Amino acid sequence: MFDFLIDGFGVALTPLNLGLAFLGALLGTLFGALPGIGPINGIAILMPLAYTLGLPAESALILLAGIYTGSEYGGRMSSILLNVPGDAGAVMTTLDGHPLAKKGLAGPALGLSAVSSFIGATVAIIGLTLFAPLLAAVAVKFGPAEFFALMIFAFASMSAMMGKDPVKTLIGAVLGVLISTVGVDSGTGVLRFTFDMPELYDGIDFVVMIIGLFAVSEILLMLEHAFRHDAEGEMAPIGRVMVKLSEVLYCKWSILRSSVIGFVIGILPGTGASVASAVAYTTEKRLTDHDNSFGTGNMRGLAAPEAANNASAAGSFVPMLTLGIPGSGTTAILLGALMLYNINPGPMMFREQPVVVGGLIASLYIGNVVLLLLNLPLAGVFARVLQVPRWLLVPSVAILAFVGVYQLHSDLMAIYLMLVIGVFGYLLRKFGFSLAPVVLGFVLGGLMEENLRRALSISGGDVAILWQSALSVGLWIAAALVVLLPLAAGRLKAKLMEKAA
Amino acid sequence: MTLAADRILSLLLLGLAAFVAVQAWQLEVPFSYDPVGPKAFPLILSGLLAILAIVLFVRPGASGQWPTGALLLRLVFTMVLLGLYAALFVNLGFLITTALVSVVIAWLFGATPGKALLGGVLLAVGSYLLFTHALGISLPVGSWIEPLLGER
Repeated sequence: MFDFLIDGFGVALTPLNLGLAFLGALLGTLFGALPGIGPINGIAILMPLAYTLGLPAESALILLAGIYTGSEYGGRMSSILLNVPGDAGAVMTTLDGHPLAKKGLAGPALGLSAVSSFIGATVAIIGLTLFAPLLAAVAVKFGPAEFFALMIFAFASMSAMMGKDPVKTLIGAVLGVLISTVGVDSGTGVLRFTFDMPELYDGIDFVVMIIGLFAVSEILLMLEHAFRHDAEGEMAPIGRVMVKLSEVLYCKWSILRSSVIGFVIGILPGTGASVASAVAYTTEKRLTDHDNSFGTGNMRGLAAPEAANNASAAGSFVPMLTLGIPGSGTTAILLGALMLYNINPGPMMFREQPVVVGGLIASLYIGNVVLLLLNLPLAGVFARVLQVPRWLLVPSVAILAFVGVYQLHSDLMAIYLMLVIGVFGYLLRKFGFSLAPVVLGFVLGGLMEENLRRALSISGGDVAILWQSALSVGLWIAAALVVLLPLAAGRLKAKLMEKAA
Repeated sequence: MTLAADRILSLLLLGLAAFVAVQAWQLEVPFSYDPVGPKAFPLILSGLLAILAIVLFVRPGASGQWPTGALLLRLVFTMVLLGLYAALFVNLGFLITTALVSVVIAWLFGATPGKALLGGVLLAVGSYLLFTHALGISLPVGSWIEPLLGER
């Protein structure tokens, strides 16, 4: 049953892939630590490089996954030291992390978060190893109708779990799906939404889309923040770098509980680190915070979200590798990266691409150990990255974006398109949208339409095929439940509050 | 203010939904065995988008602060700068355009002119060496410089 893992270690332990896992961990930590550049941006900016280096699919994925997990580590730096979360997943880390740093415990806080991250990721990777083959076995039974229902479920769970505004989450997803329909229709050869521009015939390129949406819009946002002078505090001194064993033991149950929470939430399609860390934090606050010290620098309040967000990062690989449905915005990008290699994500991937899947899982084990070894002693060095001035950072991002897109297309149209998408992404963010649903919609849109049409051509146009199997009915019900349950819970809570008052 | 922004957005989205629907409706479908065709999916999406836009209009949410005045000018200027970067990228070559753009961006982000100049030039040269020599990526040299080098 675990042949895939043994083969995977065979893949991951080749010198090239080992080196890439190391490089990914290092680059990821650096990118995560850089202010304003979270995991998604890191991957978006570095993805074109993975292609230009001519890496095979599994090696590119190992590099990108290393960057992903690494930047989850790096993201905590600015949260703890500057009270500025590097990305949405690190918001909860600031709550107790920064107060700890203010108390002069910045070093131990960094160490503790590295250890909790390591444990969270380890629990989740083991979970991934055990759980993925089981899910993959079920996934083989998926036909187009079930697959379509699964995607509906993914969008439903995303809109229910992510962000403060479910309507905007859904609108973002629809916009993403719409963008994916640009280009030649694969079923009939009809040109859709190309407006007689030959550059659009192949659809909007994934790399152009991602870099524009994230990197270019980030440049504009950073420009805004640079002149608002908010939250940009003094950096706390780091002090002793190592965390004491007693401090880790004090948090052990919080870490373990949060790891499991993070893993489970990570598996749910469409929900990622931000939800996981928030749920873990509030759970721990309820369970262990007897003296109301959460928020004032409680070690458990730091360990919980850190364990959870790393666990969810690994957990989000489960649906991506077994069902082809990304569990988070970042895995959506990884999935898109795989599609560039002509690897069809979906229920068959686990069976058809054992080298890629096994190699990736094995490299997660390796990368996780590398990350711990890098992050414990070198926290002080990475923290220095925070002091890279914006005026150097922003041109670098622009250069990487331009070179990345130019290298792939040697075409100025692609660069202009990237800039247009960048403005679009900036506007969306200003309107309070999160970009992850847009990416998810963009990546899943093509598959969604394809499966819908395949299902309907099997049934000769009869829509009823979409809910004829037990599996698909289950998925539709699950989709309805994830949307309705939080609503019902909210109503119930409001009623109880009313009664109490 | 922010509520108004969401209302305007919802109207824009409604317009987009209508545009998508009209465009999709006009698609000419050659004979095919596909019972769904290329029209249906975009039409469903535009319907969904229209419904969501109406919901947004009725229940607008919060959105961020909008840039005004000097800041807005800076943002527009940055986009124009990046557009120029793209336009000149091939003809002027990577080194010169990158140096110019980096210097201006660095200055926009509050670096002193001296620092901006030094940082921008170093970034351009450094990234050029990194990309071409270390990573083997070919970058445009610039069409004006090629005759000088006697290369093609």
